[in-house]
Amino acid sequence: MDSARPRTRRRESRDETPVKSSSDELAAGPGVDETKLRRGSWTKQKSFTPKRPKHHERQYRESESSDELAVDADEYWRGSRNRRSPSPINRHADSSSNDQSHGGSDEDRMSNGDEALAPAREDMSDRSSTPVPSVEAPLKPVQLNYKEKFVLRGHLRGVAAVQFSPDCSMIASGGADAAVKVWDTLTGRLIYTFEGHLAGISTLAWSPDGQWIASGSDDKTIRFWNVNTGRAHTKIFEGHHNYVYQIAFAPKGNILVSGSYDEAVFVWDVRRARVIRSLPAHSDPVAGIDVVHDGTLIVSCALDGLVRVWDTHSGQCLKTLVHEDNPPATCVKFSPNGKYILAWTLDGCVRMWNYVESRVIKTFQGHVNKKYSLSGCFGYYGSPEVKYNPPLAFAVSGSEDGAILCWDIVSKNILQRIEGHTDVVSSVHTGKLNGKRMIVSCGLDKTVRVWEETPENQDRNGSDASPIQVGTEITIQNGAAINGDDDGDNEMTDDPPEPSTETTPALTEDVTMT
Amino acid sequence: MNLSLVDPFVLAQDYPDNLTEKLRSGHATCLRFNHTGDYLASGRVDGTVVIFDIETNGVARKLQGHTRQIQSLSWSRDGRYLLTSSQDWKCILWDLKDGSRVRTVRFEAPVYIAELHPFNHLLFVASLFEDQPVLVDISSPNPIKRIIPSRTLRPQPTNGEEVDPAVAAKQAAQDAKHSTCVTIFTAFGNHIIAGTSKGWINIIETETCTTIHSMRLCNGVVILARLANNGRDLLVNSSDRVIRTVLMPDLSQLGIDFEPSAIKLQVEHKFQDVVNRLSWNHVTFSSTGEFVTATTFMNPDIYVWERSHGSLVKILEGPREELGVVEWHPSRPMVVACGLESGCIYTWSIISPQKWSALAPDFGEVEENVEYVEREDEFDVHPAEQVHQRRLDLEDEEPDVITLDRAENTIDAEQTGVFSVPVLLDISDSESGEDIIAVGPGTMRRRSPGDGDADKDSKSGANGVARGAGRNRRR
Repeated sequence: MDSARPRTRRRESRDETPVKSSSDELAAGPGVDETKLRRGSWTKQKSFTPKRPKHHERQYRESESSDELAVDADEYWRGSRNRRSPSPINRHADSSSNDQSHGGSDEDRMSNGDEALAPAREDMSDRSSTPVPSVEAPLKPVQLNYKEKFVLRGHLRGVAAVQFSPDCSMIASGGADAAVKVWDTLTGRLIYTFEGHLAGISTLAWSPDGQWIASGSDDKTIRFWNVNTGRAHTKIFEGHHNYVYQIAFAPKGNILVSGSYDEAVFVWDVRRARVIRSLPAHSDPVAGIDVVHDGTLIVSCALDGLVRVWDTHSGQCLKTLVHEDNPPATCVKFSPNGKYILAWTLDGCVRMWNYVESRVIKTFQGHVNKKYSLSGCFGYYGSPEVKYNPPLAFAVSGSEDGAILCWDIVSKNILQRIEGHTDVVSSVHTGKLNGKRMIVSCGLDKTVRVWEETPENQDRNGSDASPIQVGTEITIQNGAAINGDDDGDNEMTDDPPEPSTETTPALTEDVTMT
Repeated sequence: MNLSLVDPFVLAQDYPDNLTEKLRSGHATCLRFNHTGDYLASGRVDGTVVIFDIETNGVARKLQGHTRQIQSLSWSRDGRYLLTSSQDWKCILWDLKDGSRVRTVRFEAPVYIAELHPFNHLLFVASLFEDQPVLVDISSPNPIKRIIPSRTLRPQPTNGEEVDPAVAAKQAAQDAKHSTCVTIFTAFGNHIIAGTSKGWINIIETETCTTIHSMRLCNGVVILARLANNGRDLLVNSSDRVIRTVLMPDLSQLGIDFEPSAIKLQVEHKFQDVVNRLSWNHVTFSSTGEFVTATTFMNPDIYVWERSHGSLVKILEGPREELGVVEWHPSRPMVVACGLESGCIYTWSIISPQKWSALAPDFGEVEENVEYVEREDEFDVHPAEQVHQRRLDLEDEEPDVITLDRAENTIDAEQTGVFSVPVLLDISDSESGEDIIAVGPGTMRRRSPGDGDADKDSKSGANGVARGAGRNRRR
């Protein structure tokens, strides 16, 4: 799949790229230093400018050459393999220790329950102590059971962003190899590879109608790719002066917002590919951005540690949230109902804010997050037939140690620690297809992995067997190395899943959560 | 979602004060918001209909099918269909999902105003130029037109009493002089309100097309009649330079405990300019019906009256040209009007100042000096871990991150399946190729919205020619 742009123009732009980037390097240099100075109080570990995964192969920013990110990617990757041996045995060991941790969380829950019997149930909105519902309330599951379904290989370098399509039938992923890949969720087949970006991709977003994928890249542009035709959009969204860090669509699909390393937030008219509004957002690179479900609010966060809430229509800042310690914020997400904001910070916490009252109401910990801009989202759990109050939800995030963590929103307990990735998990997204809840994740180990929720008690036949490996021609070329790593489970050990036959159609409530 | 954060003083202001935006696509002559206020349809002199996206101020779709100036626009309740009427003697019902024409209805005369039934997008009324108004059923490809009477309802002669032939002839002659200028549906669509050239208001039952009530409102021609969103207030602009608001009875109660003979229309307010004797081009209610807005003849001002006392509250200024059609956004304090000369669409709304305390979280805005009271443990020093742990322990709420607030969703629940116009990225689909703008007397230039100011001058004076050329260039 080539981009539809004429060849000549492409060559031109390629020619001028090194010049541009070098000038940027000069421009970026003092900025970074300044940032470091300003954040002098911040402890040593935090003095890195957080990096999107793909940066670790790029050398043109001298300021980072001292850290390990600048080491050649392959070396780094090999090194990381040595550090953590992700053999199946080890993984099992991990999961068994995991079970213990689940046991621990079980106890937590019990103690919570005891505590909760005392106070009378008060209104949800005020700050009462844990009002765990009385006896008749249905029991909450204490753990999740996501199992690996596919390992999608094909990206040549670390994968930075992954997202389900609105109907969850497809998965889009983009990474440092500057390619956007589209996968079929049911079969794991590679549908498209979109190439055209001149530098690594940090972020991508599906348009709400599921027709387009927008991708934001370090080449300072946002490009659109049509999933129906397999072609690139003729208009390129140009305007940012530096890397595009994160993008998000408004629910109607007419507006795209983007946050960039140039410290600005742009609001784009998607139809005209033109900036409607530039929000004077932050004094440091904007790392995260999201739009609320009804499109009236935009949230942005930056490495200056501020989380800002904007009115989409007027472009005014309505609220600024900052945690006392002021750790750099790298990703923000609105809750599905838009009442809360989840913010990832480089002190290894994910905080959930009540942004109206400017209060942190939950702090999720347990993952490693020191230098990468990890992103995650909300997810649902619990049986759909049982009514829970409040409805059961979890927050999910990747971790720099290769795990994916799911926290219960209310108790903050880790519901599941999903192991499998062999390197930093940069992005996680949840979805539901044919009544089955799924998680897709991607990481610097160049893979995209699909996880499917399986009923806890039902020990599926062969569920412990390795997941289906889906490779492309590229994978086959590199087959030896990768297979050696993953214990040669490249063959189809499981039948191709047919969830449509297994599930009742009544449950098909294709909910995507972002 | 943003209501909880927006300054309540800004929210409390319910009419606009500043000219904020200028939309432009050709020479617009009529405007209409859809029911949710997301889109603005504008009809142009050349017969093109342009749908603007209010959020981006960009063109969402262009509809080409009419050959003469657009006279009126009417949205279906769900916002998917748009009825347009034009001076080319046609009405077209458009499906905005794909921009196709659902029905095209031809008439024997130019159409003044056509309005869709509030719940059935396959039924509309149209008032025609020097012809009888019609109720058109377009549920089948062959439209069924039923003529709506223009003559007023007279007291029926009681039994046994002979009607004087001379009187009857005189009445017939009077009836013949009546022609209907405006027809609109009532809130539920069971009745049609018609305004005649003699200043009468007729209420006609939709099902039977019979007049059930007539009332003489004024001496002039009824130019425009509009209902407020609540369906109980009628706004009438007539050629006697007076705008009237009329309180309507609840017509849905007809036949239950309310007889047609008991209908009484009561004039609530008369808005006029007694000094300058201004006449009014176009009138509209505000979204809540609290305000009445009118554009003035030979004058670039928009008058805003409030209805509780009937006083003038604001004159909106800005452009230097006379304004034609004026519309009020269905939920926001925002007024749009199109200039008669340039065909530009002007937008008035509220510019709220940035609250600086929103930018700095640890500051607050106070009205006057406040003495600071220190909390007991405010400056106590605790080990960081202890503070952290205490903070974590405090996080014991049970937040619900999923359930949407019902209150917020009432609008959505009411209008089930609100349609949103598909976002078209490809220009060839949306037909938003070129626009013609007048840059001076007799000179036009072409503008393509995608390229901003990279305009190309074209000498063609006639819109049609230029448009044709544009089409060729696209191919």
